[in-house]
Amino acid sequence: MRMVPSDDSIWLAQLRRGALEHCVLALLRHRERYGFELARTLADAGGLLAGEGTIYPLLARLRRNGLVNTTWRESAEGPPRRYYRLTAVGELALSTFVQHWQLFRDGVDRILEEASAA
Amino acid sequence: MKTNSDVDKLVARYLSQLGRELSDLPASRRRQIVEEVSSHIAEGLAALDTEDEAGVRSVLDRVGDPSAIAAEGGAAEFRPRVPWADALVPWLLLLGGFVFVVGWFLGVGLLWSSSTWKVRDKLLGTLVIPGGLPGLVLLGTFSWRTSSTSCGGVSPLGQRVVIHCVTSGFSLPAAVGILVLILALLAPFAVAVHLERVRRRSVNNVHG
Repeated sequence: MRMVPSDDSIWLAQLRRGALEHCVLALLRHRERYGFELARTLADAGGLLAGEGTIYPLLARLRRNGLVNTTWRESAEGPPRRYYRLTAVGELALSTFVQHWQLFRDGVDRILEEASAA
Repeated sequence: MKTNSDVDKLVARYLSQLGRELSDLPASRRRQIVEEVSSHIAEGLAALDTEDEAGVRSVLDRVGDPSAIAAEGGAAEFRPRVPWADALVPWLLLLGGFVFVVGWFLGVGLLWSSSTWKVRDKLLGTLVIPGGLPGLVLLGTFSWRTSSTSCGGVSPLGQRVVIHCVTSGFSLPAAVGILVLILALLAPFAVAVHLERVRRRSVNNVHG
């Protein structure tokens, strides 16, 4: 049972959900990051995050599914931070997503371009 | 970090609202999210030039509406069909018989109509011990009476009687009888605990 938001927010939320978690995996590909850093980066990318806080349920889900793991580390300028790191499973999920995403993006772009050209 | 009671109050209010929005999630999951959002806010405040009310509000605005975070966490999907029904089952089976006996039958009905338990659990919940604790008391009185009448002996309460005669009733040596009684007393509790465990596990497993 879900609330029924307006049509726009439904498809946008679905689009975000699928893409966002793989953007998180992509950000973690080369180095570990902490939540605030991930949230700010995604929020600044524009349109990816409904609110910075929405990243945390997502991170928790990635962690439960074994795509990322975490470690607590002291930070120089404040309280200790939970750092997120990509696991082997996460890497695999990311590369699969990248392949599909490219096909998907090209397909959608082509359709949209043809429609606007006609 | 500067501490300013107004700032703290705004943050505390935000976090408690978030906690409420997430109240349908399993506790461990809720704690993890609130903890992370809380340190996110601390990082955001530390990055401010001046920690005034406007600054705090902008940090909280960026974090977003607690209900949006709850929606992303799937709080709505955790809301059970009948939120309290499953939670009642172990209690009803154990003690429901005290409520004009119907309590136990209600418990059995909810047990079998729920998808939380497997058939094995449902059989266990129904058969050990029918009627729960009150059923046990009833059974105990009944068997006591049969055995004592068939032996022709009268055993006043509190007096330990060793019954040697073997009759059609179920008379047992006192030690064995006491052992059986203890086991029979523990069984309904054990089953209730088991059902409660299964329920909690299923609550935690609804998502990944």
